[in-house]
This record gives sequence, C-alpha cells and structure tokens, in this order.
Amino acid sequence: MIKSAEVVIIGGGITGCSIAYNLAKKGVKDVVVIEKDYLASGATGRCGAGVRQQWGTEMNCKLAMESIKFYETANEVLEYEGDIEFKQGGYLIVASTEKEHQQFKKNVKLQKSLGIEVNQITPEEATKIVPYLNTENIISATFCPKDGHLNPFTTTDAYAKAAKRLGVKFYTNTEVTGIKTDNTKITGVITNKGEIATSKVVNAAGGFSKEIGDMVGIDLPVYSERHQILVTEPVEPTQGPMVMSFSLNIYCQQTPVGAFIMGRGDANEPRDLRRTSSWQFLDEMSKTVTELLPALGGLRVIRQWAGLYNITPDKQPILGSVKELDGFYLAIGFSGHGFMLAPMTGLLLAEQILGEKTSIDISMLDKDRFERGELVLEPSVV
Amino acid sequence: MRIDKHPILEFQRGKKIKFIFDGKEIEAFQGETIAAALHAAGVKVLGKSIFKHRPRGFYCAIGNCSSCFMVVNGEPNVRTCVTMVEDGMVVENQNGKGEIL
Ligand SMILES: Cc1cc2nc3c(=O)[nH]c(=O)nc-3n(C[C@H](O)[C@H](O)[C@H](O)COP(=O)(O)OP(=O)(O)OC[C@H]3O[C@@H](n4cnc5c(N)ncnc54)[C@H](O)[C@@H]3O)c2cc1C
Repeated sequence: MIKSAEVVIIGGGITGCSIAYNLAKKGVKDVVVIEKDYLASGATGRCGAGVRQQWGTEMNCKLAMESIKFYETANEVLEYEGDIEFKQGGYLIVASTEKEHQQFKKNVKLQKSLGIEVNQITPEEATKIVPYLNTENIISATFCPKDGHLNPFTTTDAYAKAAKRLGVKFYTNTEVTGIKTDNTKITGVITNKGEIATSKVVNAAGGFSKEIGDMVGIDLPVYSERHQILVTEPVEPTQGPMVMSFSLNIYCQQTPVGAFIMGRGDANEPRDLRRTSSWQFLDEMSKTVTELLPALGGLRVIRQWAGLYNITPDKQPILGSVKELDGFYLAIGFSGHGFMLAPMTGLLLAEQILGEKTSIDISMLDKDRFERGELVLEPSVV
Repeated sequence: MRIDKHPILEFQRGKKIKFIFDGKEIEAFQGETIAAALHAAGVKVLGKSIFKHRPRGFYCAIGNCSSCFMVVNGEPNVRTCVTMVEDGMVVENQNGKGEIL
C-alpha cells in the first residue's frame, strides 16, 4: 500500500469516485480512494438512480441541473467504453393531497425561475404521459422531460476508470479503522491493510459517515435510514418517466432493459445500519404500485434489497470543510439524492480542497448550519 | 406424442379439452401443462429470445429457465411448462420481452 497521499477519500461510492476524478483532473497527484467492500457496494449500487431537477430549494435545483448537464455527455467526457445508460424519460410527480398540490405550485415557480423545463399539469394531461396512471386520487402532477435515470454501476465505473487513468489509486476490500490527527489537523489514515500519511481526508462514507466522524471525535448531524427497493422481470418499453409520489411514498421507473425498479422508505425504521430486506416492504410496495400504476400488477418480482439513506435535519447534503479540524472534508448526508448530485459534489469538493472559488456558493451547506439554525428545508423528498 | 403405456407408472389422464394456439384448436387432456400439450401436438417453438430473436422451446420443464414463456389469455411471460392447460385457453408465441399494455 502507498505510504503517503495528497488526499485520501474514504468511500468508493459515486461521491468518492466523482471527487477523486475531479481532483485528478485538476492535476492533483496521489489521490487515494479507500473502499471497505467493492466500488458501488454502498447506497450507490443499491439506489433507484433517478435524477431530477424538480426540487423545492434553489440549492438542490441548481446542483441537480448542473449534474444532469454533466450526465448528458458523461460517456464522452469520461471516455467510457461502456454506457452509463442515461434515459431522459422525465419525472412525473403526482400530487394526491391539497398540501402537495400547493407545494408543487411553489416548486414549479421556483424551478421555472431557474430555467428548468417543468410544468404543473392536470391528471388528464398526466395520463397522456403514463396512460395507465390511476388518477382517481390525483389532484395534479408536475413533469420535467429532462429528468431521468441511469445505471449506477456503470456510472460509478465510468468515474473510477477515468480517475484511474489520471493516476488515482483505489484500494478496495480495505477498511479505514482510524484517522490520525495532532488535534488541530489531520496527519494520516489507518486502514486494516496499513497506514497512509496525509493532511487531507474526505469523508464520503455514505451511510457510515457518522462512524468516520466519530474517529476524529466530531459528532456529525446525520443518521442513516434503511430504504428498500425491488426489481421486476423485464418487459417491452412501457413507461417513459419515473413516476413518483411523496405522500404515497413511491418512486417507480423502467430501466432500458425493461425491468421496473421501485422503492420506498419508512421513517419509523430503527436507526441501526441494517441493510436487510423485509416482507413488509414487499407487501406495502406491491399494494402501492398496483393502486397507482395498475398495469404493473401482473409483473413478477425478481429481487428486493435495501440500502442506507444518510439523512440530515434539513434533507440537504453537508459539503465542505469543518472548523474543528484542518484537512477534514465532508460529502455526506445526501438524504436519498446523492446519486443525482454526484457530478457537482465532485467538482465543488475538488474546488474547495484546492482553495479555488467554488462554482456554486456552498458555504450554506456546512455542517454548522444546524447549530446556527440556518436550515434550508427541502420539502420534496421520498 | 404421448406415452400411453409405461412399464411402471400408470397415467390417469383427465378429460379431453380444447385450447387455441396460433388461431388453431388443439386437443389436450386436463392435468397437462400447456407446454406438454403443445409438445404432444408437435409444436416446438414457443417463443423467440429477447435479444437475437432466436426460436426458444421446451427446456428445463420445471419453471426455472424462462425458455417456455408464452402469452396466455393475453398475459405475457407465462411459464407454460408449469401452468396447467385449460379448456378455451388462448395461447400465443411470445416474441421478445412481453407487452403488458
Ligand atoms: C434504496 C435507495 C434508493 C435511492 N434512490 C436514489 C435516487 O433515485 N436518486 C439519487 O440521486 N439517489 C438515490 N439514493 C441515494 C443515493 O444512493 C446516495 O445518496 C448516493 O449513492 C451516495 O453515494 P456515496 O458515494 O456518498 O455513498 P455510498 O454509495 O454509500 O458509498 C460510501 C462507501 O463508503 C464505504 N465505506 C464506509 N465506511 C468505510 C470505511 N470505514 N472504510 C472504507 N470504506 C468505507 C462503503 O462501503 C460505501 O461503499 C437512494 C438510496 C437508496 C438506499
């Protein structure tokens, strides 16, 4: 194992790989990514992989817009020999309560003001996009045709391969067990396979980010919550957009291969890092989906699994440095939407680590905003 | 072809029924699977593979391999090797992944 590095990134998910790529692209030598299992073994490889610009805060809208622009040309930019399978079939988000209907009005106004191609539409108009949508309890919907989804494995692979070509070293099946400091600054990282001297560490450990904070005695304001998801047998192209409902607690997309992927979470889950799947999920999910999208009722379920959302009090990520410890950077708390923000996360973290002016001002996304009471609450999460 | 006399087993065939395959009426016995009845009637191609659209037929015969997927009464991806044939059933070849609309 390498003895020293400029930057050590903990976590080989989409976040860690994007940060590594962006740092290397900016010319940083000796960037190391440490991953305890394999790349994309965390939330990244377990996620719904949807990307949307239809957010309720300006910050999330901007991060998502720029990230989607990147994904549109990522195969070429990352010189990927495979395919990240970006399908821009849109996101159809349905409102089934008056509260949601009103919230969506505000969201759409904000999104339009930022230049996002989005409209609030009637239930009848929604059935022109998804003919089998059950509109019985739907008041309205919003639709942005540029939203979509990609393949999280190949997307991570594309970043990782591009990063490797630029000299980034990846150590998989290697676990970070401690971080060395001299109380004010970072001096090294301890793994189960040896130590690396470094002055900069990025915590990109997803659902395990709090445990990394504990290693340096910093109590990070995040917790992890199990979210479950399933995949069906493939059928011919049937559904263009991701269909989503916050109040019904469902998102459902059809991948290019034809399989439907759908998931939901449960806020009453015990917060114990479990990633097992349950029969209750299968039961609830089947009922919800057959209610909202009856045509999918006959599909067979192939597999179900679970992953961790790493959640902050305002459902916005925590990005950037911390005042307590020099050289410690956070890219955590994505609250269930870190996949779609990863291109910007990588760029912004790289810029901040190198002391450049960041493309988007992220000072409001620091971890101390909660202490200051400066929350930027995101209303539109599933 | 059906085995009528077996040295050890004794078949208790159900009553004769009829189902439709490819617009044609085919005779079967109650208690047979769709794929078995088709096999007895000499039908070898049950569907086409999903990527290269090559012929697919009876293979594992225990519901595991997906080779016998057919459209039955309008429903795609039916494992005909483990689904019993019924009187009046409409069975069609399946080309590709199956359409649910
Ligand atoms: C079911 C589900 C559905 C989702 N749907 C979407 C969606 O549709 N769109 C979207 O944008 N987001 C979605 N998300 C969220 C998204 O998956 C995450 O926000 C994103 O993948 C986070 O990436 P990451 O790289 O930060 O974390 P992860 O992918 O979790 O990567 C962190 C990595 O760190 C490693 N690690 C942890 N501790 C250590 C250690 N001590 N030493 C070494 N390595 C360590 C882990 O093994 C892991 O691989 C979903 C999440 C789940 C669970």
